[in-house]
Amino acid sequence: MASSVNIKPGIPVVLQELEPSSPLFKQGASLRVTGKLQAYGVETAIAVITDGGVGLKIDTQHLRDISFRIGSIYQFIGELLIQPENDAVLQARVGRNVDGMDLNLYHQSLHLRRQFELELVNSKAN
Amino acid sequence: MDPIQTVHVKLMASDLLSLTVWPSNPPCFTRKGRPVSRAETVGMVVSHERKDKFLRFLVDDGSGCIPCILWLNHYCLTSHGGSADLNLMAEMTLKQSEIVKLGELVRVRGRITIYRGMLQVTVRDVVVERDPNAELLHWLDCIRLAKQCYDFLPAVTLPGSVLNPPQDGSDR
Repeated sequence: MASSVNIKPGIPVVLQELEPSSPLFKQGASLRVTGKLQAYGVETAIAVITDGGVGLKIDTQHLRDISFRIGSIYQFIGELLIQPENDAVLQARVGRNVDGMDLNLYHQSLHLRRQFELELVNSKAN
Repeated sequence: MDPIQTVHVKLMASDLLSLTVWPSNPPCFTRKGRPVSRAETVGMVVSHERKDKFLRFLVDDGSGCIPCILWLNHYCLTSHGGSADLNLMAEMTLKQSEIVKLGELVRVRGRITIYRGMLQVTVRDVVVERDPNAELLHWLDCIRLAKQCYDFLPAVTLPGSVLNPPQDGSDR
């Protein structure tokens, strides 16, 4: 893939946040999601990951060099495709196995990071 | 000299990409008034383009995508016969260029430069992080260092500081 500065960063989210009322739940939103692999269809290349009892479908057809193992933890960056009846699929650009990641630490770090980013934006606005 | 000018500062992409650029030759960069010249970032490789003389790639840390360039010139030079050091450097650079793959979590250190008006990192070294928690710890490092170090001017440059009293003896 050619390098492009137009690629948007995948904003890290936890799956529970991806509900229709959330500002992150937008057509084409670039997101980074993390969860345990629940199911994977070889023919469709659709994976389902879960975290905190919430699942999300991932379209992995563009990914190479990644093997899927049920029960392992994966992280994907891609764009959200919202289909009728708010059925969301993340069209993954990149993905990786993150077995060993401390999901508790991930959630807490994400919280701190968001606070920091907000402070940074506010300090620049003043 | 401000001590953070000579180290690789750990910055989130949003922070790095919004540094103030001073149009000198070469350009200078400041963050909240403090000069920085080198940076360290951790993120996923979301794009890469390999040419004969360089590898260009993007590192996404969730707050922004940092353009990085790894020059492979040493390798070109050695094909015409170079010193042992140059050969070693070429070999190391080539190895580094081979580990940068889409989806890998990498830690990149290098000089902050500008290309076509955009900030980028000219890579000094790049390693693949095998521990997925390394990225989380990097986030926490960035936050801690910003709050406890980078956000403050060093005492020696503060006007009226006890370490930097007025030369004329006045009490400003």
